[in-house]
Amino acid sequence: MKYLDSLKFAFYVIFHPFKGFWDLKHEKRGSMSAALTFLVLLIITYILRRQYTGFIFNENDPKELNVFIEIISVLLPFFLWATANWCITTLMDGEGSYRDIVIATAYALVPLILINLPLVPFSRIINMEEGAFYYFFASVSVLWTGALILAGASVTHQYTMTKTVFTSILSVVGMGLMIFIGLLVFSLLQQMISFVYTIYREIAFRL
Amino acid sequence: MKAKLIRCLVLALIIAGCFACLPPAAQARLPYHTYTYDYWGDVVYSPAAYLPNRLITGEDLGIGTLRTPTDLFVGNDGKVYILDAGNGRIVVTNDRWELVRVIDGFENNGVPDRFNNPSGIFVTEEGHIYVADTDNGRLVELNPEGKFVREIGPPQSDIIKDDFIYQPTKLVVDRAGRIYVVARHVNQGLIELMPDGTFRSYMGASRVALNMVDYFWKMIATREQRERMALFVPTEYNNLCIDEEGFIFVTTSALNEWDIQRTIDSRSEDDRYAPIRRLNLMGNDILRRRGYFPPVGDILIARRGSVRGPSMLVDVAVDDTVRVYSVLDRRRGRIFTYDSEGNLLYVFGAIGERFGNFRNPVALDYLDDKILVLDYETGTVTEFTVTAYGRLIRDAVHLHFIGKYDEAAACWEEVLLQNANYEMAYVGIGRAFLRQRKFEEAMKNFKLGNHRKYYSRAFYYHRREVIGRNFGLIVGVLAACFLALYIIIRVREKSQKSAYGEYQSEVREI
Repeated sequence: MKYLDSLKFAFYVIFHPFKGFWDLKHEKRGSMSAALTFLVLLIITYILRRQYTGFIFNENDPKELNVFIEIISVLLPFFLWATANWCITTLMDGEGSYRDIVIATAYALVPLILINLPLVPFSRIINMEEGAFYYFFASVSVLWTGALILAGASVTHQYTMTKTVFTSILSVVGMGLMIFIGLLVFSLLQQMISFVYTIYREIAFRL
Repeated sequence: MKAKLIRCLVLALIIAGCFACLPPAAQARLPYHTYTYDYWGDVVYSPAAYLPNRLITGEDLGIGTLRTPTDLFVGNDGKVYILDAGNGRIVVTNDRWELVRVIDGFENNGVPDRFNNPSGIFVTEEGHIYVADTDNGRLVELNPEGKFVREIGPPQSDIIKDDFIYQPTKLVVDRAGRIYVVARHVNQGLIELMPDGTFRSYMGASRVALNMVDYFWKMIATREQRERMALFVPTEYNNLCIDEEGFIFVTTSALNEWDIQRTIDSRSEDDRYAPIRRLNLMGNDILRRRGYFPPVGDILIARRGSVRGPSMLVDVAVDDTVRVYSVLDRRRGRIFTYDSEGNLLYVFGAIGERFGNFRNPVALDYLDDKILVLDYETGTVTEFTVTAYGRLIRDAVHLHFIGKYDEAAACWEEVLLQNANYEMAYVGIGRAFLRQRKFEEAMKNFKLGNHRKYYSRAFYYHRREVIGRNFGLIVGVLAACFLALYIIIRVREKSQKSAYGEYQSEVREI
């Protein structure tokens, strides 16, 4: 029942972030399985939102819906953030391990799920003029999650708020760097492969 | 004998098979595609709205080749005026392409005079011909018989620089006799002249859009650098046309490619980067841009290849009978037709060598419902006639404009039989249903037409109906929900108190 308890503990964390994140780490109230559950739920939320949001608010071209891109667009930023944050905070006396960071960040995503999931049916019973509510709740979920991520980082690493904000900005820069290096590697690989392939073809033609 | 027969049959079958593989004849005949853009900005091919009907050359009219004709005008009485600039003459025909008269010179106060590279022509309702005689730097008015009436020289005013070289290219005259002139190297808008030819003012200059990045560079640049930079100036117009209500349509092709791209991406109704404007007497833009994209020509802009960049709109013509207007893209030889709300109705035409193609189209005008396009390079006029499909769209737009929504919907239904991908037809049908208070059908059609705003309106009424019908049930369910919630909270409060107490004591123990 540890798993169910750790799932339920998310409700405590999102309303009492500082104490919640403390217990999450030090009292072992959270679990990796719960964290991964939240990630999967978030992916499902985003897919549902793209596919089933009411026509008035759904600006997505159904022709271009791609589940794999939806999955990547949740997982990639999440693990980029966790890795970049871990890299930065290890250098700056952060006390959280990689596991702590992943768990804390995943718990911080719960408001996104809790608000965006009901917004999907809600968007089907309101018209354009009432859309203000829809957009209000959608932005509340993002702000709430943002605040929770900051609170989580500050508690996990035992940082002051200024230091948390500072490391978070550095983490975002780090995410950019990682993407840049990734693209670089890919394009280099591509060049190399095409180079080898060209040589192969050249030889094949001449033989 | 029998073997021969079988061989013949097999041969016939093979030949028939070869023909069956070919594309249908109708498609093979047309040298261009007809299409629209949908809500997502994708090209949707459609049946042809206009077909090339006739190619008119100078030889057909018996007056020798037209050399670099620059403008074409259709008068109220159906007479067609072709400005044959290379030969310095005006060719007048009637609507059946029979030559009425050739004006290749006139007597100016007893002295024989000719045009020198004229590039714009306009004919008033009374039949008076105005010509923008570009290289002579003047406007010339002729009477319907082609006799000289007057010439209007360069405008005189304090706000016009002394070294200004007046090169009028296009002009229109409104009902009150005021003359609006497009001249080269003028970016203050149109030159407005009083009926007697004196300068009144510039009018209709586009609002200058300030680009923050350019502004920043200009701030830190030295004086010399600044002078070399492009100025923040309004765009230069290249053509104009006046509609029945006295509003002036103007086109420009001097806009920055990226500004146009941004306008398309943001579906902006702003007039600052608009290549088509409709000016009122104050010179303000009143063009409606209610379509899914603003009227800018092509939505998908090719970035590679030999023909790249946005549509280069060089002429505009209004069909006053059904209130649609067409613009001509010189770059790709396409004609875009929009309704008065700014919805794109159909696009057709192409650069090429076949009948129905252009090489360098410079002017278009409506002759009833026919579209005439003048080619500068080949010196020909191509006459396009409307197809049954195009006529249905025109009728539907017209019926909608005059408020006969149900008749319009009937037309749209027929359009859909020929082109089930035509979003505007669904919206038109939806609007008719909305007026008949059939909200569910309206919603269905608005969804097919991708029109979120109207869908929302239909949905609002539909929801009110549904709630009204099931009011008791909804209140009952809501009340039950609240009751259940209340009970759950009460029960949980009790159990949680004890659970939280345990948790607190655990914490204390540690």
